[in-house]
Amino acid sequence: MKLESIVFCVPLIIVAVFSQFLPLFTRRGVFFSATVDPGFPQSADGRRVLRSYRRQAAASSVIVVALAVWLTPHHPRWAGFAPVWLLLAGLGISYWRKFREVHALYGVRKPELRQADLVADERKEQRVGFWIWVPPFVAIAALALYLHLHWDQLPNPYPVHFGLHGEPNRWASRDWKRVYSPLLIATAMNLVFVALSWVFARQSRRTVMRAITIRYLQVMIYPVTFTFVLISLLPVWPQSPLWLGPVVTFSSIAVLIYWSYRKLTSPAASDETPDPMSDQYWKAGIFYYNPSDPAIFVAKRVGIGYTVNFASTWAWVIVLGTLAVILLPIILLRHPHL
Amino acid sequence: MACNLTLRIDLDSPVPAYRQIVDGLRILLVNGQLTPGSELPSVRRMALDLGVHFNTVAEAYRLLAEEGWLELRHGRGATVVNRNTPAASAAQVADFRRRLRALTAEALAKGGPAAKLRHELRNLADEL
Repeated sequence: MKLESIVFCVPLIIVAVFSQFLPLFTRRGVFFSATVDPGFPQSADGRRVLRSYRRQAAASSVIVVALAVWLTPHHPRWAGFAPVWLLLAGLGISYWRKFREVHALYGVRKPELRQADLVADERKEQRVGFWIWVPPFVAIAALALYLHLHWDQLPNPYPVHFGLHGEPNRWASRDWKRVYSPLLIATAMNLVFVALSWVFARQSRRTVMRAITIRYLQVMIYPVTFTFVLISLLPVWPQSPLWLGPVVTFSSIAVLIYWSYRKLTSPAASDETPDPMSDQYWKAGIFYYNPSDPAIFVAKRVGIGYTVNFASTWAWVIVLGTLAVILLPIILLRHPHL
Repeated sequence: MACNLTLRIDLDSPVPAYRQIVDGLRILLVNGQLTPGSELPSVRRMALDLGVHFNTVAEAYRLLAEEGWLELRHGRGATVVNRNTPAASAAQVADFRRRLRALTAEALAKGGPAAKLRHELRNLADEL
């Protein structure tokens, strides 16, 4: 198998493996996004539903990985994204079918109890750990200063693209955009992390998921910064251990996943402020739609993190704005005459 | 202010959400768990936590402010203030009696023992 095929298949395999465990990343009393008796997932029927989903997810994964291997030499332009989307669609359909089955056959109705904490200090909790965010920005600023002070020692032409083994394969004249772009990207990503934390702290309910998500963002800013610092150093330090970036990133993700699984499934988590319990607000078990809820972000029923309340106008602004930010540069790059 | 002070409402209840918020907060105010100077969460924060519309919480705060329990400040939520308990008018006493009679009749109709009900009412009056 060629290196390119492996590069395309590794993310698919990671998604496929994660999909096998995805239904377990949920609160007690919720199974495939449907409200059930807390003991149901361990029952014979619960285990049968999980086995059935896993078989379907595994079949989708095998087909898509085979497709990626075939596409890589024949249609390399499609190999990068078509299999990923097909895999996500396949897994989504499997999950949706199981949601419907569990909700219809084993779902239970729970009272719509809501709870508000009357004594929490809002201003304190909205600071979301200011000092945790500072070191990565300091590291980026320090490296930018180092590059500025050693400007004359930087290679010219400047390597701007690297092969899979870290060898430069494209050069351009040395200017600030080429030298500082990895650090600028890291700064932009870090600012997005900070902004998301701030938004989640202000616009979502106090739940265990909020604490987990904000901790994810606070931790992940470090490996992201580390990776971009290594990339930035590559032109001046060719022996830079670039491989350490993904290793540290994936190790951090693995530790965070284990930690969040323990937090999420602990009995204490189910006693926290309940998110809206009724299954009627969860379309296909994935999309939250509740016009009477002012929250823009709500904790997902499965997996880690948040989803938007699609009944909120602001949620659509955020979703479409994010899509525009991602898609516009791609469209403009492909169609420069626009 | 006491720790772990929470307000819980049931959206399945026939009692409107704003009324449940008013009733829940008034109990905490009357029995002294919320003391003068205590700051309640902002309307936005409480509406988010309860998953109800902002106007629902704003209406509840407004009613409690009208009763003299809260001082409302734009954008800052509500603060509990000192309140001189007014003397209930004859019409108000008659209204309480009517509502209490209705509630007691409902409890008895559902099989609640009269002696226990009497005991509970006395306890509640002493407790609050």
